[in-house]
Amino acid sequence: MDFELTPEEKAFQKEIHEFLDKECNENVVAETLSMEGEGPYSKELLRKMGIRKMLAPRWPVEYGGRGMGAMSEAIKVDEITSHYAPFPLDGVEIGNALLIVGNEEQKKRFLPGIARAEIEFALGYTEPNAGSDIASIQLRAVEDGDEFILNGQKIYNTEAHFSDYHWLLSRTDPTAEKKHRGLSLFMVDLTSPGITIRPLVTMAGLRTNEVFYEDVRVPRANLVGEKNGGWAVIMSALYGGGGGGGLATGTKKVIDTLVKYVLEEKQDADENRWIPEAMADIYIRTHVQELMGLQATAFADLNVTPPYGGGAAVSRLLSGDTRRLLYNTAMQILGPYGQLAKDSKWAPLKGEILREFLDTPRWTIVHGSQEIQKLLIATRGLGLPRK
Amino acid sequence: MDPRLSEEQEILRKSARDFLTEKCPKSLVREMEKDEKGYSPGLWKEIAELGWMGLAFPEEYGGGGMSFLDLAILLEEMGRVLFPGPFFLTVTLGGLPILDIGSDEQKQKYLPDIISGKAIFTMTLTEADGKYDAASVKVKATAADNGYVINGTKLFIPDANVADYFLCVARTDDKGKAEDGITIFIVDAGSPGISKTVLKTIARDKQCEVIFDQVQVPRENILGKLNRGWSEVQKIIERAAIAKSCEMLGGMEVVLDMTVAYVKERIQFDVPVGVFQAIQHHCVYMLLEVEGSRAAAYEAAWRVSTGHPYSSEAAITKAWVSDAYQRVVALGTQAHGGVSIIEDHDMPLYFRRAKAAELAFGDARFHRKTVARNLGFKVA
Repeated sequence: MDFELTPEEKAFQKEIHEFLDKECNENVVAETLSMEGEGPYSKELLRKMGIRKMLAPRWPVEYGGRGMGAMSEAIKVDEITSHYAPFPLDGVEIGNALLIVGNEEQKKRFLPGIARAEIEFALGYTEPNAGSDIASIQLRAVEDGDEFILNGQKIYNTEAHFSDYHWLLSRTDPTAEKKHRGLSLFMVDLTSPGITIRPLVTMAGLRTNEVFYEDVRVPRANLVGEKNGGWAVIMSALYGGGGGGGLATGTKKVIDTLVKYVLEEKQDADENRWIPEAMADIYIRTHVQELMGLQATAFADLNVTPPYGGGAAVSRLLSGDTRRLLYNTAMQILGPYGQLAKDSKWAPLKGEILREFLDTPRWTIVHGSQEIQKLLIATRGLGLPRK
Repeated sequence: MDPRLSEEQEILRKSARDFLTEKCPKSLVREMEKDEKGYSPGLWKEIAELGWMGLAFPEEYGGGGMSFLDLAILLEEMGRVLFPGPFFLTVTLGGLPILDIGSDEQKQKYLPDIISGKAIFTMTLTEADGKYDAASVKVKATAADNGYVINGTKLFIPDANVADYFLCVARTDDKGKAEDGITIFIVDAGSPGISKTVLKTIARDKQCEVIFDQVQVPRENILGKLNRGWSEVQKIIERAAIAKSCEMLGGMEVVLDMTVAYVKERIQFDVPVGVFQAIQHHCVYMLLEVEGSRAAAYEAAWRVSTGHPYSSEAAITKAWVSDAYQRVVALGTQAHGGVSIIEDHDMPLYFRRAKAAELAFGDARFHRKTVARNLGFKVA
């Protein structure tokens, strides 16, 4: 048993930390906090990281990675998020899947570009009538010679407006007996004629999109996996990442900021006596979530399946719950000032708490809602009956 | 990072589980709740022969030369079966403190007897207000010819009824700060002037009132330094909190397993109740509590074993685990329904001990205050 990072991991952590301390400047942070997606400063930073092979450290060297383990991914995510550098990087997530399910030509064509931040991908699963029930998607792909013709609509495809490619789940066989048997996965050039992207904005100000497909042609070479084999592809994308991330430096920074704020502004008031214990509770949850995630990541690196599938899924669950608790508590600490937006007079802590508070529901919904996660933990982890 | 136990540790776990499954059935646990001593001397002898008391002590005293992490594994297994008796106290509140700060003579005198199972130890620390802070230590030790005279009442002292020795935490100077002027004494539990009353508790463990009335202790029985005992007591509490958390983890695992097994079998509305998402979500949150406890308890135990600082992790662990065990037994009983609140069921055994364990060595609120202080808050 060992709870320390390896020397190689520590060196990577130091390298990326020092790089971002220097290069993740206020322009990049402003773009990240705007939640409008990657702007020019973000793209420039990502390119620099790409040259240094920091974006996909887990991939084999031949595809632009460093051949490191899952822990390097956790370190990368931790450093990026705690520096407010651009995140998420769906291209890398998708590349993880492509490594497993893509053919050699596709890997060569896409992976090095993703690793250098020259190709950005957007996820394209959700539709207006297919959220958690993803196998019910309708966007139709019809074979036509060496191409497929696509028609339909996607929604909440957050990176579509600044991405180069769409990782698109479509229906190729509407007559399949089981609905998840008739799906196919395509990589679609987002500049293709017939694609319309319309903005949707969350209450926190996050730009996401609806994407409409009207007779869009995509070459067969961009089909990932088998025709009608899309379900297997998206399962490997959902679970291909392996591990549970873990490090929670960003959350601990927010806790520190709040502690400082309380010590400076409201330390002695009688009505604030509840605050230290509430913050301690959040810190404890964060620490435990971090440990569970790190252990799950370590198990993934060891290729060992721990009991109950390990802490990865429950760590994610705890992470969503803790985030909600953290920002709700933070809003309670700020009292009436918490409601002030960032460009308002009197706004505390640059209005950041309000933005994060408004963004909390997203984290328990995206990438598999908590309810779906619980279903998977219950049935796969604990072996409870489905019906 | 490697979350796995070593091969030797896995063997230790398996042999402990096999042994305890056979030797410590629930019938024994129930019997010991009613027993005057609260433990089985025969079983005590057997685990001594297996080397369990000596596991984490150096070989020169007859110990196994293994680590605190190995002890943690054993405690987790004992927590699973609700092992009754003074093992926990003898090792964590007796032997390890003597190993840490005892003089050579004290180590030679006491450790071999602890390791061989001849001596049972407990610590007389808490008093009438039940707190684990320095100001609560009011029992007085006054200097007299060749030693000290102890007077006062200690309360909630586990297994004092069967202990051969107490580590008695007493005030030797009350002029300065509360933390100063506290001394630890090794007291023969059979000394004249000591009287013990077993209290009736939720876990039916043997917590006692211990009255010291003009109890004489020779000067050489001071453990550590005169008036400088509190920082050692804190260390002892922190380590005991981690050890207790490991034991609690074992209990939680069993409650989870028992609940998951039951909801797969229990038929209502013509289906196993485990089909219902309400029940599934209960089980998922129980798993979250258990896995969180495992991560925290083992990180803390690993830190003790490897010489890393562990004060902060002890507080984090005991705070999380104390609340976690409560939530696990609450959700477990809810998922079981009526059957699990009947006295004959195993659940009440765990339910009652979850509360007792929460209270031992600081409850969640006590430890959250420590975490708050570590964050920079000024907390009383």
